[in-house]
Amino acid sequence: MGRTMIVKIADNIISPLGFTTERNYQAVKAGESSIQLHERHWDIPEPFMASLFKEGEIDNEFDKLHSACKYTDFEKATIISIDKALQQTTINPSSDRVQFFLSTTKGNIYLLDDKKEEFPKERALLGVSAQYITDFFRNPNPPIVISNACISGVCAQITAMRCLQSNRCDTAIVAGCDLQSRFIVSGFQSFKALSPNQCKPFDAKRCGLNLGEAAATIIYNRKEQKDISNSEWLICRGAIRNDANHISGPSKTGEGSFRALRSIIQEKDIPQIAFINSHGTSTLYNDEMESIAISRAGLQSIPVNSLKGYYGHTMGAAGILESILSMHAIDDKNILATRGYETCGVSHPLILSNQNCPTDKQAFIKLLSGFGGCNAALLFKKGGLLWK
Amino acid sequence: MNEAILELKTQIIEVLNLEDICPEDIDENAPLFGGGLGLDSIDALELIVLMEKNYGIKLQDPAEGKAAFKSVSVMADYIEKNRTK
Amino acid sequence: MEIACSINITPNKVVINGKDVNYTERGEELLTAIYRRQINDYPKFFKMDSLSRLGFVASELLLNGEPDRFKPREDRAIVFFNTNSSLCNDENYQKTIQDKNNYFPSPAIFVYTLPNIVTGEIAIRNKYYGETSFYVLDRLDIESMEQIINDTFQDLTTKSVLGGWLDCKDKDHFEAHLFLIKDQKTSKLPNWNKIIINKIIYNKQ
Repeated sequence: MGRTMIVKIADNIISPLGFTTERNYQAVKAGESSIQLHERHWDIPEPFMASLFKEGEIDNEFDKLHSACKYTDFEKATIISIDKALQQTTINPSSDRVQFFLSTTKGNIYLLDDKKEEFPKERALLGVSAQYITDFFRNPNPPIVISNACISGVCAQITAMRCLQSNRCDTAIVAGCDLQSRFIVSGFQSFKALSPNQCKPFDAKRCGLNLGEAAATIIYNRKEQKDISNSEWLICRGAIRNDANHISGPSKTGEGSFRALRSIIQEKDIPQIAFINSHGTSTLYNDEMESIAISRAGLQSIPVNSLKGYYGHTMGAAGILESILSMHAIDDKNILATRGYETCGVSHPLILSNQNCPTDKQAFIKLLSGFGGCNAALLFKKGGLLWK
Repeated sequence: MNEAILELKTQIIEVLNLEDICPEDIDENAPLFGGGLGLDSIDALELIVLMEKNYGIKLQDPAEGKAAFKSVSVMADYIEKNRTK
Repeated sequence: MEIACSINITPNKVVINGKDVNYTERGEELLTAIYRRQINDYPKFFKMDSLSRLGFVASELLLNGEPDRFKPREDRAIVFFNTNSSLCNDENYQKTIQDKNNYFPSPAIFVYTLPNIVTGEIAIRNKYYGETSFYVLDRLDIESMEQIINDTFQDLTTKSVLGGWLDCKDKDHFEAHLFLIKDQKTSKLPNWNKIIINKIIYNKQ
């Protein structure tokens, strides 16, 4: 029996930069960012930098789907993204061989604050909300929600990969979404984790992150190795590891991040890897930790980038959105610039650039870290590398 | 111990959930951080909230907090000089 | 896969490997009582939210007596499931920001507004560098739990899983059904499969 691999068959990003992957990729390639200053937004006393959808943007797009049911903004954004990804395939989402995986940190959390009381409080339950999403597509399987802090987007892809390998489904629809709210912004402000300016990943002057919102979807199938074309994208290996150090502060030895990288990389992979797309949130501690982890794993000769300067930190969507952009970058023979980076501000020098750089390589690593000390790494390769 | 110090110690114990500690257990001149209380970065952030909520003092960042939170005595002095409530 | 040990904690009951353990306390006080009686050397317990306290004491009871208990390891995953995510604590955090005239967001409460923090607390306590994951389902779905935990072993580093159902609706209403599952089969211990899990959770011997 031939070996089976997990192959991407479609993707979508919806964000304040656009409602298609192509539009998002071109915007990021051109250096655009949707991060701006918001003052007295949601009655939050301190101004904050964030990338937010415009008023009515999600509603207008969702109206095109002509749904009779009521959905929250979080559900609408997720449904729009999944629908746009499905349009690129012949997959029937109502099949019992299709499984939905939803990555989110806070889902409908804004309902706790909702004075309009449009939806019952019960809708704040992630499993309930996810059920409404899969019901839109008439899928009979209970959805699986991955809520593992900021690494959820990578975890969801790993969970989907394992489910496909176990043959419990033939198609995995992996969607990630988080919308910003008073709840989330105020919390990060209480952590003094936000920068008053555009974020600067890995830079000497970095002083915190910007927040963002987006929805992103990747659809994966299982395929026999012999049926895979050179241009198809594969997930090769994924790992999740914990720092076992502190519930919110990154490990000073980059323990979990290093162990996740070590777990997914073999010596022969290294020359094939175009870049490591890091978490790169632009906090003092996170970026320093990642530089340590990447060096410890012996990967410091591989270019590193961060996409947080375009969208801010999109939380549950980040792992999926950033993976999609990275795949399209390699298809475009490009390493996307780290927007906001100027001078190296981490103790272990990394290859970083604020310009797009050319590459012929056909693989990349997606690296993420999150509250709870969790870290995740995912190795992606194009089909052409299978026989090497 | 004087009343202001006692009140401050009681507030610290409450906001930081130091369940098995009494005011008498805290040496007001000993370092608050790096000492026996096992306080971490989240505790420092919570003390910043305490300063604003109870005394109207706005500390802008953890670095400012580091100086003000050296010990309970230092903290009490800082409050005395800067309180607006 | 086999179940090396199991634990069930509800507001009224503590069951270890199918045997009732006597406590007179109920609800939130039960968790504190377990901490005092069995552990009592980890003051951080009192900073945790209800979900983390539940997971912490349940895991302590589960791991009690394991040889080399605190030796750092990467081969054990922590995989939990629930319906309420961290909503119990989210409501607590919401109170600190609800009134714009009394707006004091609390970082110590905010940090627990993610369900996976409890996996971090257990990893820190036990020096587990392995996988930590949290899944939210719309009900106690034993089949999904069984399958996802089985899938966790596809990471070949993982040789055991501390996993199961960990849910908290409010500080006095919670449910923990945790298992230590090992990638081996000795003849005496029960199999990790949905029939046995069902029996243990619903206490039908």
